[in-house]
Amino acid sequence: MKRRRFLRDAAGAGLALGSGLASLSAAPPLPGRDSDLSRVEAKYYRKLPDREIECLLCPRLCRLGDRERGYCGVRENVGGTYITLVYGKVCSFNVDPIEKKPFFHFLPGTPALSVATVGCNVNCKFCQNWEISQVRPEQVAHRDMSPEAVARAAAEVRYPSIAYTYTEPTVFIEYMMDTAAAARKRNVRSVVVTGGHINPEPLRDLLEAVDAVKVDLKGFTQDFYTKYVRGELRPVLDAIRAVGRSPAWLEIVYLVIPTLNDREALIRKMAGWVRDEVGTDVPVHFSRFMPMYLLKNLPPTPVSTLERAREAALDEGLKFVYVGNVPGHPAENTFCPGCGQTVIERAGYRVRETHIEKGRCDKCGETIAGVWT
Amino acid sequence: MGASRVVIVRAPGLWTSSSGCADPSAVTNMFRRGFALLTGEKSDRQALSTVFRPDDRVGIKVNTLGGKVLTTGPDVSLPLAAWLAANGLQEQNLIVWDRTNRELREAGYRLSSGRGGPRVFGTDAEGAGYAPELVAHLSVGSLFSRIQTDLVTASVSLAVLKDHGLAGVTAGMKNYFGAIHNPNKYHDSRCDPFVAEVFDAPPVKPKHRVSILDALVVQYHRGPSFHPQWAEPFGGLIFSLDPVAADTVGREKIERLRAAKGLPSLAEEGREPAYLATAERMGLGRADPGGIEIIEERLP
Repeated sequence: MKRRRFLRDAAGAGLALGSGLASLSAAPPLPGRDSDLSRVEAKYYRKLPDREIECLLCPRLCRLGDRERGYCGVRENVGGTYITLVYGKVCSFNVDPIEKKPFFHFLPGTPALSVATVGCNVNCKFCQNWEISQVRPEQVAHRDMSPEAVARAAAEVRYPSIAYTYTEPTVFIEYMMDTAAAARKRNVRSVVVTGGHINPEPLRDLLEAVDAVKVDLKGFTQDFYTKYVRGELRPVLDAIRAVGRSPAWLEIVYLVIPTLNDREALIRKMAGWVRDEVGTDVPVHFSRFMPMYLLKNLPPTPVSTLERAREAALDEGLKFVYVGNVPGHPAENTFCPGCGQTVIERAGYRVRETHIEKGRCDKCGETIAGVWT
Repeated sequence: MGASRVVIVRAPGLWTSSSGCADPSAVTNMFRRGFALLTGEKSDRQALSTVFRPDDRVGIKVNTLGGKVLTTGPDVSLPLAAWLAANGLQEQNLIVWDRTNRELREAGYRLSSGRGGPRVFGTDAEGAGYAPELVAHLSVGSLFSRIQTDLVTASVSLAVLKDHGLAGVTAGMKNYFGAIHNPNKYHDSRCDPFVAEVFDAPPVKPKHRVSILDALVVQYHRGPSFHPQWAEPFGGLIFSLDPVAADTVGREKIERLRAAKGLPSLAEEGREPAYLATAERMGLGRADPGGIEIIEERLP
């Protein structure tokens, strides 16, 4: 399949493309699609008496009676059997630079076929994609795409990876894992962009299926997670630890929100935790907050705040610390921790120059952690 | 400020033997008596005129999540609509509605665009949908059904009274969860303060006129799903202009049924409906039984 045709087909299906997700908010969600949802039995649940079930996918452990849905809005108890309503129901796909996820140390400079269904198991007040993450599947247009179809589409145009992103892939884990398995058979890798609000068992299974995980660590106190994320911090830290100890590549994003999670002491504490628990090679991205969704009363993060956060994290011993959502900032580049040379020079999401040979700095020979080929 | 009045009208013999549905004339009588006792007016028309304007476009928000059995069925909502139309409101200005056409159909409704009766449709019907503007109100952020925001000027919450595994009780106030696009996001911490805050939101509170709790069959345990072993044919409707008082009395009915069946109270199960106290604190109505006047009448 030609790339142009691939994109044209996507546009024809009325799906969200590129950064145009905002267009969904301009029109009422499409009605009348409730008969078009998937009825695939979900994994990770247990049956209870009287047709009730308990969802074991994420730390919420939703306990649901017949005809009820979980917090995510995409998994439903139907007569005592738990089903996923979004298996193969793609609401958004696109071809993004992998730097947009962001992954800076995983196949840099390559495109990632990016896929999402609707749904999320938290409700961040600063969500960028709430029009698709905080809705139910019958409220948004989708297109049927089997796992095999997604894998084939990526392979045919030689995209090296598929990214499960935009919403919260945990809630469509069955579809994600089947797609990742189909992709692996075609030598296409899978990367996950997640909030990490997932239980250990499904995460363990997921880590066997995918190649890289970027976790959004949205704050570093339970109070922040309670007030602004509506989730739990501890399971997210457990998930980061589990990814860090798995073969999958790990990167972390920390969205810095003025006055809410930007204290230097907190940043240092978080960076120290990353250093001690998953190591100094794990890239950490300090990303710039922009006011949106339910958090419009705060200004964008000053660039100087991001720079101070970066300095603090470097000072705590992390080797690869970036500033995100500030196009053209020098801290988008990767610097060799040995000699300080710029080993990857970026301009926005574009890679301009690379000085890494077989995983090492081409000047001093220092190992640069990452997945480069 | 006087006590909030709550009227309970019971008609234990209202079910027809042939269909098992409520007899429409018996249900109409219940509405007639309920509004008369609620408003103190003698004629139906006068009673309704204290609640609605003649040109009001009235949304009757039903709850059809429970399928065919545990639902605000057409045997209750359509007699209400017919009685409203017979007493000063325009039939074409009445909408019986819920989230989806599918749920309405499964509950026994025939969808209608309004020829010869009220309009009946879900938010997902063509031309309806959700209003595009996100309503951010207190800790709630939701899109509201255009039926609630644009199509109606007055709102009746005609909800089934049920035990609820998380909220403790689901009744007239929580019924408006069916007016937002993301109700699944508001079931944390026993749905509190979300039930009160969704009700308090601009698309709901100014339009809400009356709560009528369908307590014909009350699911007093293991709700909101239907479990016949814990469902009681109570045969009642509960009316109030005070949404908090209506739910408070509904909660008491559930507690009494639970006690009569030897079940622990909602508080003992850690499911006390905390939203009632929150709603009272927000000034939405009375949750203190001392501030509620209950009038109960049993029809033949």
